[in-house]
Amino acid sequence: MADSDHEYSEQGSDDDIPTRNGTGRAGAPRGRAMASRPKGRAQAKWEAAASSNWELHEGADGSIEGVLGGLEEAGKRKRLLKDTTPLQRGIIRHTLLILDLSIAMIEKDLRPTRHLLTINYTVGFIREFFEQNPISQLGILGMRDGIAIRVSDMSGNPNDHINAVKALRGMDPKGSPSLQNALEMARAALYHTPSHGTREVVIVLGALLTSDPGDIHDTIKSCIKDRIRVSIIGLAAQMHICAEICRKTNAGDENSYNVAVDEVDYRELLMSITTPPVVRSTDTEAQRRNQAALLMMGFPSRIVEEKPTLCACHGNLTRGGYLCSRCKAKVCNLPATCPTCDLTLILSTHLARSYHHLFPLRNWVEVSWARARQKGSTQCYGCLAPFPHVPAAEERSEHNGTRAKRAEGASESSRYECETCQNHFCIDCDVFSHEVVHNCPGCQSSAHLPGAEEEANGVEGESDAMAT
Amino acid sequence: MNIVDATDRTEKLDEGEAPSLLTIILDTNPHAWALLTESLSLSKAVANLLIFINAHIAINHANRVAVIASHAERAVWLFPAPARPRYESHADGVHSDGEDSEMQDREAANSDTPSQPRDDANKYRPFAHIEHVLLSSLRQLIDTTTTDALSSTPSTMIAGALTLALTYLSKQIQALPSAMTSAQFNYSDATAVAGGNELSADGSRNQPSMDLSSRILILSVSGDLANQYIPIMNSIFACQRLTIPIDILKLAGDTVFLQQAADATGGIYMALDNNSRAGFLQYLMFAYLADQAGREHLIMPGEGEGVDFRAACFCHRRIVDIGFVCSICLSIFCEPLQDNLCLTCGSHLSMGNYGQKPVVVPKRKKKKKRALADGGADTPASERSTPAP
Repeated sequence: MADSDHEYSEQGSDDDIPTRNGTGRAGAPRGRAMASRPKGRAQAKWEAAASSNWELHEGADGSIEGVLGGLEEAGKRKRLLKDTTPLQRGIIRHTLLILDLSIAMIEKDLRPTRHLLTINYTVGFIREFFEQNPISQLGILGMRDGIAIRVSDMSGNPNDHINAVKALRGMDPKGSPSLQNALEMARAALYHTPSHGTREVVIVLGALLTSDPGDIHDTIKSCIKDRIRVSIIGLAAQMHICAEICRKTNAGDENSYNVAVDEVDYRELLMSITTPPVVRSTDTEAQRRNQAALLMMGFPSRIVEEKPTLCACHGNLTRGGYLCSRCKAKVCNLPATCPTCDLTLILSTHLARSYHHLFPLRNWVEVSWARARQKGSTQCYGCLAPFPHVPAAEERSEHNGTRAKRAEGASESSRYECETCQNHFCIDCDVFSHEVVHNCPGCQSSAHLPGAEEEANGVEGESDAMAT
Repeated sequence: MNIVDATDRTEKLDEGEAPSLLTIILDTNPHAWALLTESLSLSKAVANLLIFINAHIAINHANRVAVIASHAERAVWLFPAPARPRYESHADGVHSDGEDSEMQDREAANSDTPSQPRDDANKYRPFAHIEHVLLSSLRQLIDTTTTDALSSTPSTMIAGALTLALTYLSKQIQALPSAMTSAQFNYSDATAVAGGNELSADGSRNQPSMDLSSRILILSVSGDLANQYIPIMNSIFACQRLTIPIDILKLAGDTVFLQQAADATGGIYMALDNNSRAGFLQYLMFAYLADQAGREHLIMPGEGEGVDFRAACFCHRRIVDIGFVCSICLSIFCEPLQDNLCLTCGSHLSMGNYGQKPVVVPKRKKKKKRALADGGADTPASERSTPAP
């Protein structure tokens, strides 16, 4: 059931029966029994996105080439323009992914069926999750036929999960999902996790109902007590109970409940879970309990032996592996927990993988034609691809007012500047540096950074002015 | 093959050998090269390197090369040579006095090189071109090095050079028409998605185009690069993602993470000492000339050795086997901290179970029953309980 529109809610307001599912958005009750929406409501996210970009404004010379190129660049940059302030994030994560295996997943609105698409995306998600969070643990549950089933246990090895999820292809979806059973099983699985890690549950829900044996609000209360954060990805429509679960377990934050509008959006929502979650300062009681801990970890080296020996993790004969730093038991691959002495064994590269979340790269700004003329850049600093020519000054002043912006988010000169090193880059280097490398080529290539020196001088100048 | 009508509609792919793009990062740290003048001077090394580059280009007509210099305080492109910044030469009053020289610079910047190479009929033109551009860029780099730039830092900008190489490689890979995404919709495959295979991919990471195999070769002479740890690690992970192997040939100095870099990306790591440095060209030709396709059929050096993966602690720079990791900022320490404050992020850390002695419960004395009469000879019944700890 989609959000009911204006007229329906007015008629239904005479009813006193509170409903849980289907109508109204959480958080806007108006003193009535039924959660009705106020007049002139804010646009839903999907409505704002659906407003058409169908009108293409022609450029000054009558061609739409510039506008199309601008749209392409804006699309590429859309993903980048998120907040890059360095926030404290939970790096050691214990996440449970709960998949909906109910009859609603047979729907073909996401090709080929929701079920198959979910399995494909989940395999990708598992790989990406362990790439971005190598010291975290993942578990997978399913909601099928009114009960929760265990697809794979909590572990740090991606192959276990991938094999288990691939085996789900053979299992047909059946029955209805039960949010309460799934949350209870998730709670039990997360009960023994140490307090210095995060406890997260991600639910993919395609159905519009949940059939629970008891009161789900008690389950929600116990999840809050156990400091579990739930985020839900809906595939059909918004549900009140999902919004409530997410809101209550995330201390009032409403962004953890999203409904996917198409396949691309679904994949993006799923992949956004791989970014470590932010630790909230409002959560003081949880923070007190969630004290950061000093963890003892071993850094083994790889050995190569002449004669094969047994490994401690599987019992296979192998000629190489890693020796635990404390008890010298051999394990096959890292990261692992030593089976003998329970020491976490990792490589320093695994820790280094998470550094870019803690020290993110600053966003680059668009360059206007005037600035491009000032710097005289003809090539991208990173890849030596040529930039479009800067138009002559007279042309520029004529069209100053009338020249339409190419698109929101795209630079008119196709140049993007890093404020610290003041070098110009092309759109591909922008996307690449921010999404894959997390380094700025210019800042790393020069010991004298004009932007940083300007900032430092600015600060000194101020303090001088204050002192005198 | 389509199941219904048995037609095979796949595009015919080019059966030729894939071209390969070799990116060389030359560490031109003047301090380190000055120490090596007896065994291998920079000019001799560059001459040998040019022979290696010629060999690489000669193998396949479509092979390409790019060279970046990692200098003391900056990283610059040697080949392809970067164009100089071009300022507007219209008379808007700003550049009026420098106008003549600006015009000359414009002329110069229009062509790739400041001057054309000598027309030598005996020299293969691509070789001559590369050699000329590389040497003139290198000469310009050394000419523009100032003394205070030299004294500022004893290390080299290898992270910048790596990042520049990566952006260039990603652009080259993107610019090629990729053979991976086919516009054909395969009706027989239940997971295919109309309009291309990007959405229905089985979640595997970005497959680089099959048409271009690329690799990075680092010729390194410098020592410790500790302050560039995080950017170098980021570059290594990006290379892992794009499956670009990083080969390292160490002429002098020792760094721990370059060896890890080669191992993590599937490259070759070799270190030369004073005796073997004179055979520089031979090492290059034997170990580093084959590209990824050829390496599968050859026995590569460094396979049988273990790799040292131990980490260095943040407080004393000691190499540690067992370290203590702050769960917030992931910094590594060699021993439990004083007053439990992390040195990097300053947060208070609890110690967990470290140093806890196990709880000892006093055993209650229990009278054991008398053992059975038979077989009592072998196992004499003991009426005393086990001694208390």
